[in-house]
Amino acid sequence: MADVQPLSPTRLRRLSKPWTGLQWGALVAAVLAITPLVAVIALAVFGGEARASAPELIARYALNSAVLAALVALGAGSAGALAAWLVVMHRFPGRSFFAWALALPLAAPAFLLAYAYADLFDAAGPIRTAFRAAFGTELPLNMRSLPGAAFVLSAAFYPYVYLTARTAFVNQSVAALEAARTLGCSLRQAFFRVALPLARPALAAGMALAVMETLADYGAVNFLSVQTLTTGVVRAWSVFGSTVAAARLSLLLMGAAAVLLMIERANRKGAGHDSGAARWRALPTLELKGASAWGASLFCLTLLTLGLLLPAGWLAWRGLSAVPEAPRLLLAAAHSLSLSLAGAAVTVVLAAVIAFGARGHPLAPRLASLGYATPGAVMAIGLLAPAGWLWRGFEGAVSGFGAGVGLLLYAYAARLMASALEPIDAGLSRITPSMGRAARTLGETETGAVRRVHLPIAKGALLTAALLVFVDVLKELPATLILRPFNFDTLAVLADNYAADERLAQAAWPALLILLVAIGPVIVLTRRVAHSRPGAPS
Amino acid sequence: MRQFGKALSTASALVLSFAVLAGCGPRKEAEVPTKGELNLYTARHYDADLELYKAFTKATGIKVNRLEMGPDQLIERMKAEGDASPADVILTSDAGALWRAEQAGLFQPIQSAVLNEKIPAGLRDPQNEWFGFSRRARVIAYDKAKVKPEEVATYEALAEPRFKGKVCVRSSDNVYNLSLMSALIERWGQDKALTWAKGVVANMARPPQGGDIEQIKAIGAGVCDVALTNTYYYLRLVRSGDAGDKATAEKVALSFPNLDGHGTHVNISGGGVARYAPHKDAAVKFLEFLATDEAQEIFAGANNEYPAVASVKPPALVAQYSNFTADPMPVTTYGARQAEAQAVFDKAGWR
Repeated sequence: MADVQPLSPTRLRRLSKPWTGLQWGALVAAVLAITPLVAVIALAVFGGEARASAPELIARYALNSAVLAALVALGAGSAGALAAWLVVMHRFPGRSFFAWALALPLAAPAFLLAYAYADLFDAAGPIRTAFRAAFGTELPLNMRSLPGAAFVLSAAFYPYVYLTARTAFVNQSVAALEAARTLGCSLRQAFFRVALPLARPALAAGMALAVMETLADYGAVNFLSVQTLTTGVVRAWSVFGSTVAAARLSLLLMGAAAVLLMIERANRKGAGHDSGAARWRALPTLELKGASAWGASLFCLTLLTLGLLLPAGWLAWRGLSAVPEAPRLLLAAAHSLSLSLAGAAVTVVLAAVIAFGARGHPLAPRLASLGYATPGAVMAIGLLAPAGWLWRGFEGAVSGFGAGVGLLLYAYAARLMASALEPIDAGLSRITPSMGRAARTLGETETGAVRRVHLPIAKGALLTAALLVFVDVLKELPATLILRPFNFDTLAVLADNYAADERLAQAAWPALLILLVAIGPVIVLTRRVAHSRPGAPS
Repeated sequence: MRQFGKALSTASALVLSFAVLAGCGPRKEAEVPTKGELNLYTARHYDADLELYKAFTKATGIKVNRLEMGPDQLIERMKAEGDASPADVILTSDAGALWRAEQAGLFQPIQSAVLNEKIPAGLRDPQNEWFGFSRRARVIAYDKAKVKPEEVATYEALAEPRFKGKVCVRSSDNVYNLSLMSALIERWGQDKALTWAKGVVANMARPPQGGDIEQIKAIGAGVCDVALTNTYYYLRLVRSGDAGDKATAEKVALSFPNLDGHGTHVNISGGGVARYAPHKDAAVKFLEFLATDEAQEIFAGANNEYPAVASVKPPALVAQYSNFTADPMPVTTYGARQAEAQAVFDKAGWR
């Protein structure tokens, strides 16, 4: 029916019908999400005089940021994609364990890895001391350097690529692979010439998340003594006392993030392939034998060791030398856990409203995602604008516990919208317009179609989004620090307190607790991905 | 519809579980009935500070609500709160931060005979907006086997060719380095301070990295011979139960450099009464409490610092390192020259 009309149904609807409730909801949610960003931009533009470092220094910071981001994209991208390909398409010892375990570093905050590696490779640390004793010279490997930081952040962020790539490989078309094999490709050639190009949008999404995290990271790079735009932003604020300069510098980062997101989108366009019509069959896997089998196991084990076992193990060892403040830690853990659950719920609901309501308006979700790549310190300044209206406008709001927690939940939604929107958007892309039209033809309203068709199909994506936000909130520091109510600490706040005070052993406890709380949801997340292939046993 | 309902009920279950958990958030301590409250915004976060607040509540019956964050966050938050701010007392661990909070108009002047009498004039604001309650000195740590104490008797020594490739320092944007540089500029002027910074950069054993503790440990590991540090980091290694830390402390000694005959550079931890303090009387009481002997011992002892009140004896270990002349330069200088100090560091290439 739709095909014979001169105007496309979407256009016709847009022309004639008023907005639905969902669309209005999407507008409100998007406005809420970008309010802090608008505040930052307003500060940068209308803030007046700014004091900051000399331009040539800022240029050097920008160069460092760019090099670091490129190295992390390369490192996390190749490690994540290779691991995903090995795990999905091959059989080797330990494969089913690595399939979910490889995502576990997602549960470890980047600053935890930075603490551990900096300490492990410190001049007085065990590795360099041993090396010096054995060879009488300095180990030419320093974690407190640009390459060191690139290594640490790659180890921390490769799971983003691993997860998205694995989802793509799990859901790929067997027909395309078989065609490639029939035409004489080896499995390796099929990977480089068919599977990898087809998985490009997923890889780009994972790498975009890794790069945005890298650009916005402060805790890890600062600890590793690398000067990036984000440390420059913090320096402008803390040394020169100029939030205006901080806001202006972060415009550069927002610009970079916007360009990245646009590239990623452009990449996705046209790269989509309709596999919905193909019959689903189990993926053919290749049994690896001998050296290559053990090589695959060793590669996965190395990745897991570098991303999680070594740093967490070292911190745990260091933590043993400190007596933990148990009641304070447990209370902070309860706060972290409950904030993360509630934060995930609120953020995913808002993200879903935006994703569903703004279908056909790709700009809205992109804008709402920008907060993710903005340095947390600057987002915190931006969040103070709406917070200030609340504090000054409502008697008692500023010292109220409920208002304080509400503000935090809002802050998480604004900061972390991207980690909810990306998976939801990707999930929605699997729904063809014809599905919605079919529902409409059968008498559903617009909202009814979303409820009864779109939502059930996107359920997995919603869950993935919730888990990602959950883990991100657990690790979140700057917004929590500045907006929280009285007598309220989270694990990330405690870890930062101790680390700022150079008490690494004490910082190890809250940092490891974050890991402990996050690890369960991460396991759930990865198992979900494994079973996301239609027809797979769930 | 069923799916949607399910999602909705999951979401509300999450929010509910949060509400339940949050209910046990700000736990009411079943203690003596409290008389009134005090809202404390602090950039200090030592575990022993909590003891101090308890002692205050015990002494006065006033309950302490605490909010900890960095000085920069604290200042921006209070600006956003405006006259609705519930803060009564602001505490920070650096004179520069106190100065910046004062510039932002976050304090109010108070009249307290107790504080005027107990806190030396150089450690408080001339307008009585803030007061210092503990002091820390920035000194030179050196390898006992390779360096003689008289070789590191001044800050200038760090820039001398004698120590080429032997100096470890942390980044320039660290507030302790900034305050030291501000003091040097105040005494020497920008040109000499820049020459000094360039000399130190030329002497660096490695690019600036890590915190003060890492500098001391680097001496222990033989990477360098001399380093800048605050005293309490060294004392922490002395006190440490770790064998490696103890060995490092054995190998390293502290020199209290003299700045142009005036003494060693000192910084303060301190605080003042917030401009819109809803409990001003309690706030003044709290500051006066911090100047009591009991509180001074905890406040300074928490971090192996020096008490601000002259009559209070530091703990035995700290006392061993108390025999030095402190530069009487008003600490207000550090904040006022902070941006200038960073500019000098940047020019010298001290990252």
